[in-house]
Amino acid sequence: MSWWSTASIRVRLTAWYTAALSLMLIVYAAAVFVAVRQEFREQLEEEEHQIEHEDSVTPEERMEAQLREILVVLVLGLPVVVALAGVGGYVLARRALAPIDQLGAEARRMTAERLHERLSVPNARDEIGRLASVINDTLARLESSFDQLRRFTADASHELRTPLSVMRGIGEMGLREPRTPAEYQDAIGSMLEEVDRLTRLVDTLLRLSRGDAGTVRLVRNAVDLGQLTRDVVSSLGILAEERKQRLDLDIRENVHISADRLVLRDAITNVVDNAIKYSPKGSTISVRVSAEGHDAAVTVADEGPGISADHRERVFDRFYRIDEGRSREMGGTGLGLAIARWAVEANGGRISVDSAGRGATFRIVLPLAVAS
Amino acid sequence: MRVLVVEDERKLAQVVCSALEAEHYDVVVAATGEDGFYRANAELFDLVVLDLMLPGRSGLEILQTLRQRHIETPVLILTARDGVEDRVLGLDLGADDYLVKPFALPELLARIRALLRRGRPTDVLRLKAADLELDLVARQAVRADRPIELTSREFDLLEYLMRHQGHLVSREMLARDVWKEPRRATPLDNVIDVQMTRLRRKVDLDGSARLIHTVRGVGFVLREGEP
Repeated sequence: MSWWSTASIRVRLTAWYTAALSLMLIVYAAAVFVAVRQEFREQLEEEEHQIEHEDSVTPEERMEAQLREILVVLVLGLPVVVALAGVGGYVLARRALAPIDQLGAEARRMTAERLHERLSVPNARDEIGRLASVINDTLARLESSFDQLRRFTADASHELRTPLSVMRGIGEMGLREPRTPAEYQDAIGSMLEEVDRLTRLVDTLLRLSRGDAGTVRLVRNAVDLGQLTRDVVSSLGILAEERKQRLDLDIRENVHISADRLVLRDAITNVVDNAIKYSPKGSTISVRVSAEGHDAAVTVADEGPGISADHRERVFDRFYRIDEGRSREMGGTGLGLAIARWAVEANGGRISVDSAGRGATFRIVLPLAVAS
Repeated sequence: MRVLVVEDERKLAQVVCSALEAEHYDVVVAATGEDGFYRANAELFDLVVLDLMLPGRSGLEILQTLRQRHIETPVLILTARDGVEDRVLGLDLGADDYLVKPFALPELLARIRALLRRGRPTDVLRLKAADLELDLVARQAVRADRPIELTSREFDLLEYLMRHQGHLVSREMLARDVWKEPRRATPLDNVIDVQMTRLRRKVDLDGSARLIHTVRGVGFVLREGEP
C-alpha cells in the first residue's frame, strides 16, 4: 500500500488500466470460449442424430451456421467490452485527476493578501505533488517580493514624510509670532535644506525604480577602472583630509572594462564615501584596483566599526541602515549602497562586503574587457 | 529685456515672475499653451521660459511651431521629466536649454543670463571683485596686492563665483559646472562645502571685507558687503 500511495500517477494509471483491461479481456475471452464450446457440443449431438436420420444438411452448411453464431457473439460482445473499458477508464482518469481540480480551486483562492497560504500537497512524489510544490515555491518567492515591496513603500513614505514634517514644523513655528528678518531667513533656509533632501531622495528613488523597470539605457564604453577610481578618490579625498584620514592607494593602471562610466562612478563614489563617513578620524582607508584572471576588482577597506554578519546580507537593501540615528545625522538617504549595487550589477558586475571584526571591505568585481 | 514665461502652475509662475522682476526683467506670464503660443508669435521677446506639460497645447508643440515659423527667440524649457530622451527631444526641436523640475531659482536665473549673453564676446582675461583680482591666463589670484596660493579646483571654484558675481550659485550648479558631475544623487555636497570653507579661508583673510557668503539652503554668493 505504501508503494501504491507514493507511486507516480503515470504508474498508477498504467497499473489500473492494465488491470481493468485484463479483466475485460478475460471476460470476453471466456464468453467466446463458452460460445465456441457450446457450438462444438451441439455439433457433436447433431452428428449423432445424423447417423440415425441421415439428414439432408451438409457439413459445409453446418460449419457456416456455426461460424455465423460465433460472429454474432463477437459482434455483440466487442462493443460491450469496449463500453465497459471506456467507463472504467473514465472513472480511473477522474479519480487520478481529481487532485488537479482541487489544486485549481485552492490556487483560485490565493490573492495578494493571502499569499502566505500554501497549496496542500497530498503526495509529494507524484506529478501533481511536484506541481503543487513548484507552485508553492513560486508563491513563496512572490510573497517575499510582495513583502519587500510593502516594506520598501513603508520605508519610502517614512523617509519622504520626515523632511515634510520638518518643513511643516519650521513653517508653523515661523508664523506663530513676529520674528526678526534674520530668524525668518534662518527658517526659510532650513526649509530649503529639507527641500534639497527631498529632491535628492525622489531623484534616487526614481533612478532605482527605472533600474527595476529596466528602462535605463546604459552607454557602455571602454573605461579604465584605475583612472575612474583615481578620479573618484581625488574628488572625495578632501573629505578624508578633513577627517585626518589617510587614503592608501594601490591602483593598477590599464585595467580596462566595458561599462557606463557615469553609472559605475556612482557606485565607486558611494562605496568610498561610505568608507570615509564611517571610519574614525585618523584611520586609514585603502583603495585597491586589481585584475585577476578575467575579472577586474575595486576593493575599499576601512577601519570603521565593521558590519556584523546579520547586517552584512542586508546592507545593500534599500533604506537599510545599521545605525539609524547615526546615518541620518551624516545626511545619508539610506540608498547609497542600494544605488551602488544596482549600478554594479547593471554593468555586469558583483558587489560584496566582507567584515571580520573591525573594519569592512567592500569589493566590486567586474569582467575585464576582452582585449581587441 | 522682455521675458515670456509660459507656465500653467500658478504658484510656480508667480515665483519665477517675481524672481525675474527682481532682476529687472520685463516679465509676461501666459498660463495656457494657447495664450503662450499666441504671445510668442505676436509679440517680441528676448527669451521664452516654456513649461513642457501644459493644458491644451503642449510645450513641445509650441516650440516646434515657433521654430517652423522661423521665430528664433531663445527658449529655455522646464520639464518634470528628466529622461534623456525628453531632453534630447526638446533640444532637437530647437530649445536652447532645459531645466528639470524642481529647479533652484539661482540656476534658472544663471541660465537665463547665459542665454541672453550668448553671441556676445565673453573672452575675459581678468575678473575683478573689490580688491580681489583673478588672472585667468596665468591662473593667478591676488587680493589686496597679495598673491593667494590656490589649488586648481579652488581656482576653478573662485572663477565660477566671480563670473556669477552678485548672483547666487547653488551647489547643484557647482557640482555640474566645476566638478563636472551631472548627477544630483551623489554625495558631492559635503565635498563642495569643505572646498568652499577652504577657499574662503584663503580669500577672506582677516582684516579684509568678506566676499564669499553662504546663503543657507540655497548656496553661495560672491559679493561686496552683506548678501
